[in-house]
Amino acid sequence: MIQRLLPFFTLIALVVGLSLASPHFLTPTNLSSVVRQTAVINIMALGMTIIIIAGGIDLSVGSILAMGGLLGTMAMEKGMSIPTGVGVGIMAGMFWGWSNGFMTAKLRINPFIVTLGTLGIVRGLALIISNGLPVHQIPQGFSYLGEGNLLGVPFVLWILLVCAVAMHIILEHTRLGRYSFAIGSNPEAALYAGINVDFFTTAVYTIGGMLTGLAGMIEASRLMTGQPTAGQGYELQAIAAVVIGGGSLRGGEGSVIGTLVGAFIMGLLANGSDLLGISPYLQQAIIGAVIIIAVAFDELRKRKLS
Amino acid sequence: MLLQLQGIQKRFGGIHALRNGNLEVDSGQVHLLMGENGAGKSTLMKIVAGMYGRDGGQMLWRGQPAEFRTPAEASANGIAMVHQESLLAPHLSVAENIFLGREPRLAMGFVDRRKMMAEAGRLIQEHHFPLQPEWRVERLSPAGKQLVEICRAIQHGSSLLIFDEPTSSLSEAETKEVFRIVRTLRERQMGVIYITHRLEELRSVGDSVTVLRDGETMHTGPLAELTTEGLIQHMVGREVASIYRREAQPPGEELLRVENLSRAPLLEGISFSLRAGEIAGMAGLIGAGRTELCRALFGLDVMDTGSVQVAGKQVTIRSPRDAVRAGIALIPEDRQHAGLARQLPVAHNLTIAHLGAVSRFGFLNHPAERRVAEEYGKRLRIKAESPRQLAGRLSGGNQQKVVIAKWLVRGARVFLFDEPTRGIDVGAKVEVFETMDRLAKDGAAILMVSSELPELLQVADRILVMRQGHLTGELPGNTTQSAIMQLAALESSQGTLS
Repeated sequence: MIQRLLPFFTLIALVVGLSLASPHFLTPTNLSSVVRQTAVINIMALGMTIIIIAGGIDLSVGSILAMGGLLGTMAMEKGMSIPTGVGVGIMAGMFWGWSNGFMTAKLRINPFIVTLGTLGIVRGLALIISNGLPVHQIPQGFSYLGEGNLLGVPFVLWILLVCAVAMHIILEHTRLGRYSFAIGSNPEAALYAGINVDFFTTAVYTIGGMLTGLAGMIEASRLMTGQPTAGQGYELQAIAAVVIGGGSLRGGEGSVIGTLVGAFIMGLLANGSDLLGISPYLQQAIIGAVIIIAVAFDELRKRKLS
Repeated sequence: MLLQLQGIQKRFGGIHALRNGNLEVDSGQVHLLMGENGAGKSTLMKIVAGMYGRDGGQMLWRGQPAEFRTPAEASANGIAMVHQESLLAPHLSVAENIFLGREPRLAMGFVDRRKMMAEAGRLIQEHHFPLQPEWRVERLSPAGKQLVEICRAIQHGSSLLIFDEPTSSLSEAETKEVFRIVRTLRERQMGVIYITHRLEELRSVGDSVTVLRDGETMHTGPLAELTTEGLIQHMVGREVASIYRREAQPPGEELLRVENLSRAPLLEGISFSLRAGEIAGMAGLIGAGRTELCRALFGLDVMDTGSVQVAGKQVTIRSPRDAVRAGIALIPEDRQHAGLARQLPVAHNLTIAHLGAVSRFGFLNHPAERRVAEEYGKRLRIKAESPRQLAGRLSGGNQQKVVIAKWLVRGARVFLFDEPTRGIDVGAKVEVFETMDRLAKDGAAILMVSSELPELLQVADRILVMRQGHLTGELPGNTTQSAIMQLAALESSQGTLS
């Protein structure tokens, strides 16, 4: 039990530690910047959560995020409204999520390979479409998505909250969620139980892609550009958030609350390193180490149980 | 005396896996180690083979007190174990596996492949094993893999060989082959300990026997002194009617009708029907196509031709989903793998095939789900702490019940049981039979595929026999083993090992 709660304690310890170590940590400006920074990873990680629960993985989220942001901003550049542009970004993410799911389910290719492939394909296509140049002609109002406030807190926090609640309901209260757990826990048993494994696998990746597309629009809004090179290395952070939060890469385990905690731990590590003047190079190494430590603890817990 | 164990104890956490393990084996002797699942047989042998340490008791190896801390240490002293699940490297060749870790070397550490192949070939020939040194291990049958492990043990110069349930995954012909090998090992003055819980096979190989129950030695001595009934009594600790007999019911309406089912290359022109309330047995040798027939009927493999009617209605089965919808359930041989989501709670496992009944517009109704889980848990007497307990934590027998109960929840009426008693012990077998009997009494039609002829004769109302993809006949439930074997084996070639 204590080890299950370890991520929570780590998060609290980080908050307390950083408040003591830096006078700038507990300021409204800094906190809202943490929330904004983390929201992108957080929303991607929510999609990654259901994918990992269903026994899959998506390495292509960084590229899909860039593609979503790029197509969404290009749509606005061509004169479409802001909501339409956001919709285009989400649809782009959805399409690539679907194709990941389709290839995994129907062609029976290992998702690690499928999404490693699409990581390259989607990034390449994004660079071709944009000629490698960022999109700048974006309506001013678009910045509200990533930088605006609603009722005194960052707008992205509301989006994150809605996504998190929705994902929680999907996982715990719908057949889709239950089937995801079943498929991840034992795909063969799921097939034998008459579950349409291919359909639900595809659905899970599609949902993940949608959320990644949304994250891509938030990222574009924060930068006020559509960057074909955005999101590089984000897959590492999204997967880390899920795994730190108790998700198992063997499938069948994971939760929304765990992923949120995991993502905020990562966000605070980054923010704390900035505040304390730790080099960004070292930050990457720290994040990598945290992933290994989190999984090691989880494995130890499971070994003790069995 | 080669090996003596006295009062061996072992704890895992709070569980006392072994309280008092006693056993003696001499060279040139085959010693059977028997007991139900969980009696501590494997634990005791893993202590001998250096995989576990012991918490108490004494072990004498060739008369000297000994303790082996690692498998390597035990192996250096001449003890080898042939495992239930093969511990070979599947992508390497037979020879490479035999010499794994002890490859003959050339100068500079290069492996002397020629010498390795030649020595492996010599070893294989000497024992008349149907193997070739260059074959890849992944292509071998389970029996072939065991032969490789045996070669490995002999090559290492072992003087005591421990078999952990070697025949649980083997066909009749392969089992005979293993027995032949065990006898030659005995002739070569090796000591053999043979873990088993199959009563039928032991007389033909064993010299002496030890029976464990709940971690204690209940009996140890020459095999000839003990009757089969006495053995069972030692194993389960109570009088068990060694013959379970089912009261056949007059069958009701026809629930399944299969006509002219074919699937290349194995299944051809199979027609039969099942009626409500009956248990039809399905006998045949390994490779006769019984499992394949179940798979085709359940939509795991798509049939080439054939028509299937369930309760008088024509159905098309192209996927497990179609089969489930039609009311057909398959309880596969590999229940743990294919039947159970071990990390999910019991309740979720019970409702997984029928979530529609406890959900609306895709949203789950948790209280309704709990009620269903509790009801069916009670009906099949599933022993779980609560419906929220993880399915993987249940005992083997109870896991099996969860797999069956799932189909009751779904309302399936045609049940295909593929080897329902494989790998479970005597007491649990009777419970499986009783569960099947109850299903039949409640109006289900059951097809029971089994390689255990005595069990088929005990349980089935009539017995269908398959050979090489054809249905070769049907016999009444009170037929004899030899009548079944005639239909199953006539004109058929012996099973091969690769």
